[in-house]
Amino acid sequence: MIRVVGLTKVFGSGDAAVEALRGVTLDIPEGDFVAIMGPSGSGKSTFLSILGCLERPTTGEYYLNDRDVNSMEDDELADLRNRRLGFVFQSYNLLPRHDVLRNVEIPLVYGGAPRGERRERAEMLLNQVGLGHRLTHKPAELSGGEQQRVAIARSLANDPLVILADEPTGNLDTKASKEIMGIFQKMHKENRTIVLVTHEPYIAAYAKRVLYFRDGEIVREEANDELR
Amino acid sequence: MNFADLAQIVWENLRAHRMRAVLTTIGIAIGIAGVIAVVAVGQGGQAVIISEIEKMGSSRYFEVGPDYMKGETADSNTFSLQDPVLIKELSPAVEKMAPLTLGPMVDIRLPHSQQKSMMASLYGTTPDIIDAMNLTIEKGRFLSNSDVTAHARVVVIDAGLAEDLFPKDDPLGKKVFVQDTPLTVIGVLEKAPSSMMDTFNVRSVYTPITFAQEMLNTRVISTLCGVAVSDDAISQAISDSVKILEKRHASTSKHYVGNSLEEQLDMVGNVTSVLTTIIGAVAGIALLVGGVGVMNIMLVAVSERTREIGLLKALGARRRDIMQQFLGEAIALCLLGGLIGMIFGIGGAFVIALAANWPPLISIWTVLVAMGFSVVIGVFFGLYPASRAASLSPAEALRHL
Ligand SMILES: Nc1ncnc2c1ncn2[C@@H]1O[C@H](COP(=O)(O)OP(=O)(O)O)[C@@H](O)[C@H]1O
Ligand SMILES: [Mg+2]
Repeated sequence: MIRVVGLTKVFGSGDAAVEALRGVTLDIPEGDFVAIMGPSGSGKSTFLSILGCLERPTTGEYYLNDRDVNSMEDDELADLRNRRLGFVFQSYNLLPRHDVLRNVEIPLVYGGAPRGERRERAEMLLNQVGLGHRLTHKPAELSGGEQQRVAIARSLANDPLVILADEPTGNLDTKASKEIMGIFQKMHKENRTIVLVTHEPYIAAYAKRVLYFRDGEIVREEANDELR
Repeated sequence: MNFADLAQIVWENLRAHRMRAVLTTIGIAIGIAGVIAVVAVGQGGQAVIISEIEKMGSSRYFEVGPDYMKGETADSNTFSLQDPVLIKELSPAVEKMAPLTLGPMVDIRLPHSQQKSMMASLYGTTPDIIDAMNLTIEKGRFLSNSDVTAHARVVVIDAGLAEDLFPKDDPLGKKVFVQDTPLTVIGVLEKAPSSMMDTFNVRSVYTPITFAQEMLNTRVISTLCGVAVSDDAISQAISDSVKILEKRHASTSKHYVGNSLEEQLDMVGNVTSVLTTIIGAVAGIALLVGGVGVMNIMLVAVSERTREIGLLKALGARRRDIMQQFLGEAIALCLLGGLIGMIFGIGGAFVIALAANWPPLISIWTVLVAMGFSVVIGVFFGLYPASRAASLSPAEALRHL
């Protein structure tokens, strides 16, 4: 599903250059559930945003479903982000002036889905994350956990194969975190490929395997034998 | 993204920043309103002036005089009373011709009246002037050739003066004092079609030129007013007249120049359209300033919404989608401003025209050009911010606070 080889990312140049990634090589098969851990500044977010096609690596190869992502045009990347990848952010990143339903509809708008279908799908997704009763609320009227559930519904809008989540529970208390992880578990059972960054071992424990980052490299990998 | 979706997004974004949108719209509206109103008022004014001039005389009218533009003036040798008669005889292009001795400000009063005397322009002339100046008699008769030969103490007054002097009575046969000389009123002119003369309250009286020269104690004829046989014959009539005059007055070494009403119309047209252009340009600059305002607003909108742009791109918006959104916002602001400006511009032009008593000439072209211009401004000044917004990578844009 996902294959990266020797991925590097350098920010800035000259004396100010920061090597955020120093050669990451990794295979993620379809349906895998990967957690990424590691100290702050070790390159986890950078890695995830390259996987999510939010930015391009400095060097290295990236194949998604055997297609060479690095050689794609910007518009093709936009299409990948729209249809194949779902991104969940730590800070939810909902549009504050739109209601919940409209927020979930946005990827469908850019994907060109017709109006009626869009609405139906957004409602269905919000029902799935347990927010069917909050369709017309603004994000500010929801709790953090609820907002993150809206964001997850949004990431699922175009039924992507891969979900990328950067510390999705980083701003949430334990109870809300567990609810969110319940949803990830469900997505995993639907055979979606999930890559999730976290600081919390009990969150990482939901994944099939855990990668440890340090200074822009994968230093260790553990398999979780017993899945919850 | 289809048009309905784009329109919805643009509308939502504008609504989210209502105050800013309103201010920008006002900026554009003022520019557009200015352009439309100025051009309409200018064109209306021009049309009025031209129609006034047309009403002043026959379209075949021409006049011959010394070169006033070069500072030359008429003296008692410039023209003689026989000149017009001879020119009419000799030139087949000249149909009518009347000499003019002017008393620019003569005072006029009734005999035994305590009333303050009035000022009027006195035209000492011959019967031909009636055709040259398009005069119409309402009551009585105009000057006759025998009045001229007889130095008759008669006067034809205009309708305004008749009303002022004889509000109740019939003026015909009554005496009026012109410069303290008693004259008999033989005719009243119809109200001049030219409302300009009316507005400026210019009164005129016409007397035989022979008597006018006695009364004003002058032999100076300032101008010869002629009517050509046809529109095409005007230049022929002028050159014939000038040639004859130069031959007859060879000793004075004066230059004679002819003017036609047509030339004057052209000149007035030129002057007023230059004025309109200048004022229009000023309004255009206002419009440009409004455009820079739009760009400013769009730049602010872009940097303020950089994070949002990053998010939209992360969710699958393409460069084109972002461009369209921002361009759409800029164009919508300018179109709305243009529409409001159009309403106020047209309204303003109507009010001014009404106050100035001339037709509101709003050409559809001015409106179309102004509207087109506002859209161009929207595109032009929206393009840079939009393209800046659209070219960021989603990760970069999302890092923005
Ligand atoms: N846009 C950027 N410009 C410069 N340096 C950056 C940028 N983004 C990340 N970095 C640096 O790259 C390194 C990795 O950052 P990041 O991937 O955010 O780490 P993590 O998510 O593991 O905390 C850090 O040293 C960070 O300071
Ligand atoms: Mg991070």
